Amino acid sequence: MTDPDIGSMETEMNRGFLQILVLALLEKDMYGYSMVKHIEGLGYKVEENTLYPLLRRLEKNGWITGKWDLGEDRPRKFYAITADGRAMKAGLLEVWDNQNRILNEIKKENVHVQ
Amino acid sequence: MSNRLETYLEEISHFLSGRVEREEILSEIRSHILEKAAAEHGEADDAALDKVIAAYGQPRQVADKYLDDRPIIAPAYRRYLFRYTTLLFAFHALLTVFAVLFKKDFILFPFLFMPRLGVIEALMYLPTAFLADLGVVTLVLYFITQSGKNVRLPWPKLAVDLDEVKPPTKNFFLSRIGTAVGAVVMLAITDFALYLFARHHTIFFVNLDFANPRPLFTAAAGRRLSMIVIAMFAASTMTLLVKLFTRSRWVDAVSNVISLALIGLLLRQPFDNLFAVTVPEKLLPKIRFGLKFLLLFIAVIVTVDLVQNLVVLGRKKLAKSA
Repeated sequence: MTDPDIGSMETEMNRGFLQILVLALLEKDMYGYSMVKHIEGLGYKVEENTLYPLLRRLEKNGWITGKWDLGEDRPRKFYAITADGRAMKAGLLEVWDNQNRILNEIKKENVHVQ
Repeated sequence: MSNRLETYLEEISHFLSGRVEREEILSEIRSHILEKAAAEHGEADDAALDKVIAAYGQPRQVADKYLDDRPIIAPAYRRYLFRYTTLLFAFHALLTVFAVLFKKDFILFPFLFMPRLGVIEALMYLPTAFLADLGVVTLVLYFITQSGKNVRLPWPKLAVDLDEVKPPTKNFFLSRIGTAVGAVVMLAITDFALYLFARHHTIFFVNLDFANPRPLFTAAAGRRLSMIVIAMFAASTMTLLVKLFTRSRWVDAVSNVISLALIGLLLRQPFDNLFAVTVPEKLLPKIRFGLKFLLLFIAVIVTVDLVQNLVVLGRKKLAKSA
């Protein structure tokens, strides 16, 4: 049996995951490229052209704030999580933990069935 | 600053037109590309920028990700696009028939202006009316979608919805047999009509004695009318023959258009000095009205069929692009 093509399903799953990931990362001020590299270092890849629109949406919702730093040799926009963003992150992590727990339960049940 | 980068940003900017924060978006992309080129290729020269730009993605795809997902017409309202267009067009077609038959103008400012129309003008007007109706309904549904409100659109429970017309699901082989029989019959009729025309220069007779036939119409009128009717037979035969190989609705739609054009030609034929036989004077206006009404009735049926075919084709195209 060949490996299933999970491409489009993975993209769908990533949508929610990326939001939690970014909110979790931004406990420390970071700019776009540094986030891409950091995530890559953790063994996960995020498309650059997906990250920036996501940052813009999170900023629009008031969950993160962005501020241009013009001090370095080239301008960078640094992002940080807001209080609302922290509350959102806590809520999302709770959902995610619950989903994980349910999946693990089912996996255990399936082992017993087999 | 690299021309390549600016050209790339310019292209993204084009697809972002209308976004208030466009400059901000472009600044951030510029910053990212320069940062990445310098960090991963040593310096932000043209070769490095080319690689980073290629990895960042096509301008339209990049811009798409910043745009809201809100569609022009919400999925819940899409089926109403064809429902309402069909309804509006039916009303339009009916008024067109009245405008032709009763030689009247219809004005309902600013929504409707239908001048007194001749037959050919009416047939030319109908496709334009369909497109205009489609545009009006699209506009209304667009505003409803953009309002974001839960508007429940009314629709009467009809036995058959025109937008739910589906292609026949009959057995492939059986449906082909029906088409083949139809094609053979139509071919025989066309051949017989051609034979009569070649021999007598008309296909309309008042008796069935082909050794000594009496033509119904005068020579010139009979020749013209016969040629148009034979063209109709030939078009039907061709349609059936083509449908042996494909079930595409385009075949039906093209056939409808040809039929409408030929009906239009028939309607344009002069009525004076038409009959070769004696017809009471009093009857002539009634026969004229009856023939005109019959042909217009057929034209309306063909038009409705054409709209059905276009609706199905349109829905297939929408489904493919969704």
